[in-house]
Amino acid sequence: MRELRPIFIIVVLLVGITVFGPFLAPNDPTAIDIPNRLSAPSEVYPLGSDAMGRCILSRLLYGARWSLGLAFLVSTIGLIVGSLMGLLAAMGGRKIDWCIMRVTDIFLAFPDLVAAVVIVGVLGGGTNSLILALSVTSWTRYARVARGIGLGLSSRGYVIQARLVGLSAFSIARWHYMPTLTSSLVVVWTGMLARAILGISALGFLGFGVQPPTPEWGTMLLDARIHILSTPLQMIWPGMAVLLCVLTINITGDVLRDALAKKEIRP
Amino acid sequence: MKKLFEIFLRAAVVLAGTALVTFTLLWYAPGDPAATIAVARFDSTVSAEIVDKIRIEAGLDAGFWPAFRHWIGPILVGDLGNSSVSGTPIWPEMRTVIALTMPLAMLGMTIGLVISIPLAILAACNQGTWIDRGAIALASLGAAIPGFWLALLLILVFAVKLSWLPAMGTGTARHLILPGLTLGLGVAASLTRILRSALLEARNAPFLPAFIRRGVGVHERALAHITPHAAIPVLTVVGLELAFLLEGAVMVEVVFARPGIGNFLIQAIQARDFPKVQAVVLLTAVLFVVVNLLIDISYHLIDPRVGTQDA
Repeated sequence: MRELRPIFIIVVLLVGITVFGPFLAPNDPTAIDIPNRLSAPSEVYPLGSDAMGRCILSRLLYGARWSLGLAFLVSTIGLIVGSLMGLLAAMGGRKIDWCIMRVTDIFLAFPDLVAAVVIVGVLGGGTNSLILALSVTSWTRYARVARGIGLGLSSRGYVIQARLVGLSAFSIARWHYMPTLTSSLVVVWTGMLARAILGISALGFLGFGVQPPTPEWGTMLLDARIHILSTPLQMIWPGMAVLLCVLTINITGDVLRDALAKKEIRP
Repeated sequence: MKKLFEIFLRAAVVLAGTALVTFTLLWYAPGDPAATIAVARFDSTVSAEIVDKIRIEAGLDAGFWPAFRHWIGPILVGDLGNSSVSGTPIWPEMRTVIALTMPLAMLGMTIGLVISIPLAILAACNQGTWIDRGAIALASLGAAIPGFWLALLLILVFAVKLSWLPAMGTGTARHLILPGLTLGLGVAASLTRILRSALLEARNAPFLPAFIRRGVGVHERALAHITPHAAIPVLTVVGLELAFLLEGAVMVEVVFARPGIGNFLIQAIQARDFPKVQAVVLLTAVLFVVVNLLIDISYHLIDPRVGTQDA
């Protein structure tokens, strides 16, 4: 458990920034200050200001709520829907399994970003369509993992016994499937969380994400792109924010996976 | 044989499903689809009669299933229909933009392979050393960089600061370098990790000591046993990389202002040209399903054990 300690600190830090970011921000993220537009880092604007003179640090901190918060929401929706589908496939018998797996194949056939861009583009911008766009393909990964492990469990003695004893399907799922599934699903969840952060910023950058003036990291990069010649620093910060978050989350996932693998080997 | 039939049946069901999903999304798009087409084709002062005419012409008047049949019928015989904005056939235009994206995707894949194969072999042969750890760190970094940001950084360094390469547009081979590099580095990041673990797993396979004791030579072991074993995860990844290349093409083409399938899709969405959007989405999904079908079949050729259990 000792190797999990730094990870724990990072997770607390990320959650802390998401929740308390707005309180740490030195300025109003939407306050326009045209005379000081595109300024270099200063005491008032620690990371400089953007094309409308808005404080970049404040926008980054407020933006965490969108970039990280939304990613958290989306990957958790995927986790719930996907693991339920996977469980149903694993426990429901061959026919249900076949049908559910074909449905996941169908949704897997659409590349995440293409599906997301089309959904937001067609249904219109807005948080609801953004959430739908990002979770419509992601649940399939959880479903596959849950089903794969679940099928293995279905032939185990204690599961068969539980069924013969007459335990309800819900109890079997809760007490015989979930404990084994949880650890693998959490590892998938960290990976999907990282992908969701990348997806949200990509959508923002393409102009299909969170709508301005709401600060979001991808949208900030879209704004910064035009000023790449005059103030290249402006496009460094949001990119760094995305990179650091995704990197730490991915490393967290790797460490968790290794820790769980070790635990499984040990009796 | 029965297994192959099952694979084809699955692919057929999935293809039908992707068509249905594609159509459903655009069918339930907010607003009257006939009015959308009319406004796109004429202007917002279009009369109700013309809207009704378009509704009948596009088969939108009889409800979901007739409209779906009206849409899918021509597609099944190879006609992707006409743009709802310009009225011109979609396929010729799409063919030209696909031809523009192809070199980009191929260059990206090539750069990805050229970087990842040596890196993965180096890492796997030196497992646990600083070379291995360095390769993993590079791959993790590459997987965490947003593609469009990497593109902006490359533009900043090679086009703005050093002015070695053009930042935008198309035309010469020099225009292809930065977009190709952006895609290629992304491909390399994911391939390195997967190749490395595939090689490690194949090298540590439990049957190898048995072969060594039975006196099977080094070359035969490498060619006949390790390679096919490592090929399976690699094949899976090729299928996944395809999706990555398509997504990457959308990003890269937008950042570098290159015409291609990605920009074609974005422009079609912005113009609310639904037949075009449907064509791109459906083609993407079909490509993905077909490639994975081929991969599925080749699994059976490489490894007869695949498919003996229900997969």
